[in-house]
Amino acid sequence: MKLKTKLKQNREFGILGILILVSIIIALNSSAFLTVENLFDMLKGNVVLGIMSLGMLLVLLTGGIDVSVGSMVAAVTVIVGQFLMHVSGNVFLALLVGCAAGTAMGLVNGVLIAKLRIPPIVVTLGTMSIIIGLTLYWTNGTWITGLPKNFIDFGRQTIGSFYQQGDEMIGFPVQILFLVFAAILTWLILKYTLVGRGIYAMGGNRVSAERVGYNLDRITIFLYAYEGFIVGLAGVVHTSIMRQVDPNAFNGFEMQVIAAVVLGGASTLGGYGSVLGTILGVALFTVINNGLILMHIPTFWQKIVVGIVLIASIGFDVVQKRYWDSHTTKVDIEEA
Amino acid sequence: MKNNATVKFVQRFRNKEAVLFLIFIGVFAFMSILSPQTFLTMRNLQSMAYQLPEFGIFAIAMMVVIVTGGINLSITFTSALASIVGGLVLATMTTAGISPTLTILAGLGVFILIALACGMVNGFVVATIGITPMLATLGTSTLFEGVCLNITKGGAISGFPDAFLWFGNTAILGIPFPMILFIVVVVVAYYLMERSSFGLKAYMIGCNPTVTAYSGVSVKKVLYGVYLFSAVLCALAGILMSSRYNSAKESYGSSYLLQSVAAAVLGGTDINGGYGKVVGTVLAVMIIQVISSGLNIFGVNRFVINVIMGGILIMVLALNLINTGKKANA
Repeated sequence: MKLKTKLKQNREFGILGILILVSIIIALNSSAFLTVENLFDMLKGNVVLGIMSLGMLLVLLTGGIDVSVGSMVAAVTVIVGQFLMHVSGNVFLALLVGCAAGTAMGLVNGVLIAKLRIPPIVVTLGTMSIIIGLTLYWTNGTWITGLPKNFIDFGRQTIGSFYQQGDEMIGFPVQILFLVFAAILTWLILKYTLVGRGIYAMGGNRVSAERVGYNLDRITIFLYAYEGFIVGLAGVVHTSIMRQVDPNAFNGFEMQVIAAVVLGGASTLGGYGSVLGTILGVALFTVINNGLILMHIPTFWQKIVVGIVLIASIGFDVVQKRYWDSHTTKVDIEEA
Repeated sequence: MKNNATVKFVQRFRNKEAVLFLIFIGVFAFMSILSPQTFLTMRNLQSMAYQLPEFGIFAIAMMVVIVTGGINLSITFTSALASIVGGLVLATMTTAGISPTLTILAGLGVFILIALACGMVNGFVVATIGITPMLATLGTSTLFEGVCLNITKGGAISGFPDAFLWFGNTAILGIPFPMILFIVVVVVAYYLMERSSFGLKAYMIGCNPTVTAYSGVSVKKVLYGVYLFSAVLCALAGILMSSRYNSAKESYGSSYLLQSVAAAVLGGTDINGGYGKVVGTVLAVMIIQVISSGLNIFGVNRFVINVIMGGILIMVLALNLINTGKKANA
């Protein structure tokens, strides 16, 4: 047991090590990498990915998957956009509407998966097709522009202006607060609530979790609804960054989210993964993409690099697990 | 006691494939009655016969992998990579003035070879390293897409010899060539999966890989075989597509990915592996094709067609559940 916890602690450490290594390589090749402007750009450009990864983490922890998040976030941005244009420009109300819409969609996923016992990948494939179809039918693929001024002002706000850029003082973009909020909330749920412990238990071994007395249906429904909520949050944050709504902006985004979480060390067989690891995974994903651009490597290479990194990181994980498994079995036999 | 013949007749329609067949007849009749002037015309049937094979071949490529308890998310980019490299060979040899027969033979060979290479990569990642198929093929699909983009720089490959267009656009005795190829694929897939020991092993792996391994089956070899077969089918779909579009691009056919999962599952394939019939998948493909073509003819918005497809997928699964639930209770 002690050995296992040590190994688990090492996993985040390993990702951090890779992150630092990659950063050093990029920094040596490009002087633009370690500038405050670039770091802020990276932060702002990947807040949405970070927030959504936290929701996906919970799903992957139970051994499930949700490929509908891309369509869900597109739908949320359209709903929020329409709300801002036609009902009210209030930022808080927009946030409420976005999260409610996301939660509702997640709830549908959760109920279908838990009550009808259809595998998650099939359910979310179906809901993805439905949600993106409805969204595109509603908007006809057109953008929503000219959002209310107070919402746009909100999106431009920064916290703690400490850095001078020309005549302007800039600080952290306000959107970072949402990422911090989502990270802390997810961490608290996973660490201190019964549902959170149940999520790990369910990912570790469904049958045992049920025998211990966890209500798996309820956990599943909660999990997908929570992911919907997180997606809703991400949708509003995205709208505040882009200041317009493009219903096609999230085509294929679900793959990026899954890749980032997996890169962060979450086991896709369920049962292992952490908020810290996920954040590090998103950071690694971000730094690799940014570094390729800064080093003037054609954008076509990005997909190849991401693909290789993804396969290599999971492959390493699997091989490592196999090694430890065989190792521990040996010990058992010797003791017996 | 009821008439024995009736009981037998009802029992015969208890299995999934028979139900699918009835649904297909129903959908086809429904569309024909609603719009006999446009749906039930030779022209529409012909156009469906040209569209269906690509989709059908992709669906079978997906199904054979799902049967082993995996999933192949790289089918469309395997096909795209084969088409792009194959297309490049076709175009280069044509400009070099080499005879069309030789060009096409070499081109087709390259299509298959590249797809086999992609299949080997998938097999290596899934069977040798042991990564969950869903994530492994997610990774390889990103990889293949990257390679495609690197070759095309985002554009399309064109300039194929005229004779190459024959594959996607010609009919023999009124039957389109793509349809003939599809029928051949279906027959080969049927014999390979449901009538050979290789197929039996594949189904066993889908049920329980550990037990299969202890039964003396080389799980690794069978998985390699399945991913290679899936890749070859992707190459065939790629040949049809590049011939029909007279060009090759990485985004061609990408919409078939999720549709082929839907078709396999709709066709009764167990997403957890172990069960799935070629006939079922073919019927599901036909149902989906008839519905989408029919709705298209009625002028239904294409986004709404998406919504309906998603709805059908979930409904069929829910019905399956109710059916199996009843059986379990009985």
